[in-house]
Parts: sequence; C-alpha cells; structure tokens
Amino acid sequence: MFVPQAFISMYLPAIYAGLIVGFIGTMAIAINRRELHILILTDIVGLAMIFVVSAVGTDLAEALILPGLVVELAETLAISEILITREMRKIEQDPRANLAKSSSIFPQAFSLDMEIMTTAPNFIALVLIGYGIFLTGFTGGAVAGGGIVLYALSKKARGLPVLMLDGIAGVSGIAWCLWIIGFLLFFVAPQYWLLSLFLAACGLLLKVASKVGLIGLLMREDIDNE
Amino acid sequence: MDFVTLGGNLLGTIRLGDIVLYLTPFSLFLFAVLLGFTVLIGLSKPETQVEATMHYLNNTEVKVGQKELKQRRFLAVICGIASAGAMITGDLFNFTLFMALVGILNIGIVSAVKQTSVLDSAFNYGLIAMMCSLPLFGGAAIILAATGTLSLAVLSQMPASPMVVLGAVLMLLGILGESGVAPFFASKAEMFRTAGSPYIVIIHLSSLFIIVRAVEILLLVLW
Repeated sequence: MFVPQAFISMYLPAIYAGLIVGFIGTMAIAINRRELHILILTDIVGLAMIFVVSAVGTDLAEALILPGLVVELAETLAISEILITREMRKIEQDPRANLAKSSSIFPQAFSLDMEIMTTAPNFIALVLIGYGIFLTGFTGGAVAGGGIVLYALSKKARGLPVLMLDGIAGVSGIAWCLWIIGFLLFFVAPQYWLLSLFLAACGLLLKVASKVGLIGLLMREDIDNE
Repeated sequence: MDFVTLGGNLLGTIRLGDIVLYLTPFSLFLFAVLLGFTVLIGLSKPETQVEATMHYLNNTEVKVGQKELKQRRFLAVICGIASAGAMITGDLFNFTLFMALVGILNIGIVSAVKQTSVLDSAFNYGLIAMMCSLPLFGGAAIILAATGTLSLAVLSQMPASPMVVLGAVLMLLGILGESGVAPFFASKAEMFRTAGSPYIVIIHLSSLFIIVRAVEILLLVLW
C-alpha cells in the first residue's frame, strides 16, 4: 500500500469541491456584467480545474498540473491582450469616450510622518529575505523575492531613488546553470546527492528571487513612465 | 472500442517513453491532410477584402499591414501543426493540451485586427474556452484517476466504469466549448469576418478536424 487510505478517501470530496467552485465561478460570471470582472472570475474556474487535476494526487497528476497552469496563464494573457486591443480601438474611434470623471482616494492633502513608515518596510524586507534564504528552493525564492519587491516599492513610495541592479538577469542565468548542474549531478553521480540537492535548491532560490525581484523593478519602471 | 475497428489496420507504433503513438490509416490520413493544408496556408498569399462604401459609388480596400500578416501567418502555421499533433497523438492528456493550444492560437490570430466586433467575439470565445478548460482537463484527470492510465491504446481495451463515463462526458463538454461548436458557436461565428483569409480559415479547419478526432477518442474510451 503506497498511498495511505486517508488520501484515497479525499479524492471524491476534492473533485466535488472543484466542480462546486467551478459552478460558483460560472454563476458569478453569469451575474456579473463588467468585462474585466468576468475575466478575473474566469480565473476562478481555471483554479477549479487545478483542483480537479490535483485531486488525482499521483506523480503523473503533478506533471499534469504544470501544463494546466501554463495553459491557464497563456489564455488569461491572450484574453487580456484582446481586451486591451479592443479598448484601444474604441478610444481611437472616439477619443472623448474614455474621459470619465474620477476622484482621488484622499481629496484633501494627506501627510503621515511616523517613524514606523520608514523603518518597518526595511525590517520586514530583511526578515523576508532571511527567511527565504533559510527555506531555499522554490518557496524560499518566492519569499525572498517578495521581500525585494516590498523593499523597492516602499522606497519608491517615499520618493527615494531605488538601487538599480542591472546584473539581476545575469544572476538569474547563473542560478539556472547551478540548477541544471545540480540536476545532472543527481543522475550522473548519485552518491553526491546532498551536494546536488543544495546546488539545485540554492540555484532555484536565486532564480525565483531574482525573477520576482525583476517583476518589482518592472513595476517601478511602469510607475516612472506614468 | 478497439482502435483497429475504428481506424483500420494498425500500421505501427512509436514509443516515446510511456507515450505511445499508434499509426492507423485514419489518424495518418487526418495528420497528412492537416499538414498539407498548413503548408498551403503557409505558402499562399493573403486575400484583400473589398467593401462597398455607404452612400457613395466607390469601394474601399480592407488592408492588413505586412508585420501583422507575418505574425498571423506564423500563428496560423503553429496552429496547423498543433492540430496535426492532436490528430496523431496517442495520449489523452496530450490531446487536451493540443486542444487548449489551438484555442489560444485561435485567439492570437485575430488578436490584432481592427474591427471591434471581431475582438468582441474573440473575447467571448476566449472566456468560453477558459471556462471549458475545467471540464476538458478535469475530465481527462477523472479518466486518469479511474483507470490509472492516459494511453489510448490501453484505455481502448478497458471496460468503461461510471467514473470513466463521467470523465468522458465532461471531456465532451470541454471539447465542444474549446473548439466553439454547437452550443457555443455564437461566440466564434464573428471571428472569421475580417481580412486576411487563408490565415483566418485555419481557425475553422482546426476545430473541424479536432471534433472528428475527439469522436474517435471518446469512442475508444467509452466502448
């Protein structure tokens, strides 16, 4: 018996949960009328698909979740691209249609001068990066990358210059090589499994952290353009 | 049902690890026809639409830019290859992946057109395709959980249990939505009404061929 009985008995509830979530998502889509909301709600139906696929719970299912996620992501990107193109065409045809009346969240001048606003983001970012390095692997990379993003965003929000790391893409590439070498070593020389495990884990940490950090930098550039 | 009864004599198998492609005259014919169409579409020149102008006596040409045409041709060729892959694959999940890829490429082909009605239709089709990925992939996963395999050659030898029937029904629903036929055709009908014909035609062609292949796969799994 390779799979404990507890996990096998969870299969049907998981499938029902996935189908119910999908049903709720489609109901919400039917009720909603705004297109952007519909697009976001369809992602819930996509997540329900991941539910149903992952309910199988074997190695093969794990290999199926990844293409499922990629397809989901690609479809979301394609549809949002369509939405953007269509809105651009509409604005081209009638440039004044988009001039909606908007108001700010803070109608009056609003200033906060508290010490915690300047020190806490740095501390939280440091803790996140430290914890991410401790975790290693994919999760650690995501946590550390979140710390980097938080640091960049909080500095940007205060109007301070952000340290620009041009070499981040290079770090990402080297980390990728570490990961590949670790994997190769795993198959070529299994007796060094600990070394290859750490190579792969640290490579993945750097890779994911630099990727998430890059997202933060890209966001910063977008803010600059505005 | 055995695939020999459906597709004619077994001409051979290609083993790629645990993914086994089987070659029957039926699948080979579909594969070859689709590849031929893809080559034709890749080589042919695009048409130019001529529209009558309202209230005047002249015509206007609907032109598509060179760059956009190149991108459209590339996506159309990839779409043809993906549908050809769906014709010959011997793996249930690969079929669903090819299907989803064809859906994304269909949206991509019309993503840069100028008519807002076409973009509206593409948006609606994309939403339906995304929602139908739940029954499509979910059905394949349920069949995997019920039988322990995704190989069509093995699945065709197994008797269908109620869970397999549920999975197959879900898959049918997913295929209908993803290829935009019968109950969902309203979303896809407007997508063809734009210039650049041979590249647009692959949208129609791929869903036609995939439906034919899906019928074979569902028969294999259910009987």
